[in-house]
Amino acid sequence: MNWTEYVRDKIGILMSVDTWLPRELPEYAFGLLYTLGSLTASSFVVLVVSGILMAANGPQWWTVSAIGFFVRGVHFWAVQAFFFFMVLHLLRVYFSGAWRGGREKTWLLGTLSLLVAIPTAFTGYLMRGDFYSQWNAVQAKDGLNAMGLAWFNVLNAGQMYGLHVVVLPLTLSALIALHITLIRVKGVVPPYPARDEQDQDAPVPKDGVPHAQS
Amino acid sequence: MHNPKSDVTHRYKYVRADFLKHLAGTTLVVAVLTMGLSFLFREPVRPALHIRTVATSTPLLFEKVAIGDLTGTGIIATYGPPYNDAKGHVQSPLQKLVGVIHPVNPAQDFILKPLEMAAVLNPDVAAALSAWHAAPVGQRQAWADNYAHALAHARVVGQTVAVPPGNYGPVQPMMAGLLRLGQSGLMTGALDRSPADYQFDNQNSLLFLQGAPLHQAAKKLELLGNQWGIIHEENAPYPGPWWMTIVTAIYQVPYIAHASSGDAFALMLGMVLFVALMVGAWVPFINEVPRRLGVYRLIWRDYYRRYEHPAESPPPKSDGAEGPS
Repeated sequence: MNWTEYVRDKIGILMSVDTWLPRELPEYAFGLLYTLGSLTASSFVVLVVSGILMAANGPQWWTVSAIGFFVRGVHFWAVQAFFFFMVLHLLRVYFSGAWRGGREKTWLLGTLSLLVAIPTAFTGYLMRGDFYSQWNAVQAKDGLNAMGLAWFNVLNAGQMYGLHVVVLPLTLSALIALHITLIRVKGVVPPYPARDEQDQDAPVPKDGVPHAQS
Repeated sequence: MHNPKSDVTHRYKYVRADFLKHLAGTTLVVAVLTMGLSFLFREPVRPALHIRTVATSTPLLFEKVAIGDLTGTGIIATYGPPYNDAKGHVQSPLQKLVGVIHPVNPAQDFILKPLEMAAVLNPDVAAALSAWHAAPVGQRQAWADNYAHALAHARVVGQTVAVPPGNYGPVQPMMAGLLRLGQSGLMTGALDRSPADYQFDNQNSLLFLQGAPLHQAAKKLELLGNQWGIIHEENAPYPGPWWMTIVTAIYQVPYIAHASSGDAFALMLGMVLFVALMVGAWVPFINEVPRRLGVYRLIWRDYYRRYEHPAESPPPKSDGAEGPS
């Protein structure tokens, strides 16, 4: 197969509705524990929608509008939900050894998303404009300066606003999108082999990804 | 032989699922949940610490902060990069390498420039500033140092600070004028100036409050670093940014908490731990830990019950109401 055929095949899989909205799923991938990742992604959707509403009205909307204050509250609780579900999802995938079968990059992108989510949320705390913003800014500056990251000036509300509403969410969106893409393309990691299966010389697929036996 | 690349079962089948319904359902759940929580509890707001509040409620503290800026002994005057060339808070070669990219001269930016604005409204300040600028540098420093020492014996009289008689030159009316400016509420605007006029950067007003004013307010709310501060929400029982628990925990180690490079050490260590989490999937033995822990047998207990004892519990048919992620 030449490279154009290879790319065409890959794009075909990537753009397929069966990849993104499958009609069938592995039988082991059901139940509440397998809803945690979707709940995390859904929390991100609520964050983006409430964030767009706030960005469109300016950072001080909440000080002059009851609706603005309500939307800010939704954004606040959605952050809590996002991290709550993400940490539970992380625990589930960790104890599942979810990197098996050639899924290391999926794991890497997921943990990278968590890493980027932290400054994304932190810059949001700096947008509140209250004592918490002031205190977090002056506390965080010393560590960032010490790390050689003084460009990231937590005392500059204008810079933090740009990072919080554009740069960091776009970066996080891209990481989450790639993470979900790999999950859909590679599939959800199957269980560890059952005890009697471990004793057998099971054939190993070339790509390390098992195939359905239905 | 265990092989992490292929350590996956091949015994399973696919069942029908409505993935779109699953995603719509989780989004609806989160939307209703967050709107309900916002409606019921809103969000905590702790009013900001204003310079006016500090100047009004603690005039002596205000003047002690200000005189530190004027004498060059304050926290920011001795900080170092990225604000100036001092060495007081230089924790790593990286910090030094980045250099002065947010220049701050506390005597000029925090004291003299605001006083020049106050001088337009207050003739006493105008006269004091003229005397200050006319004096040699050594004389200015001596006056400021004398006043700084005198503040140890100062009294608060109403909204003013009274110091014992001494050789302070124009520093006493300058400090009195700055205190009045602080009490008026105009000092924040005098500190946060931008050549473009629109104000987006509050660096200087925050750096002015840095030190005793913000720390005293934070201590009352148990927000200091050694109080697990940054992850607290200030209005309990609202949750705070608990996802920064690991880095905050590192700060609780006495060696790190008291180290001069504590911030650099804590953040570096936090980053190293995170990188270890990210790349652990490729590291032999580390990537086998979940297999050895065996928690997966709880996660897939139905699966193992079905496939390790097929005779006792045949595979049920699923209606595929939920989907994975």
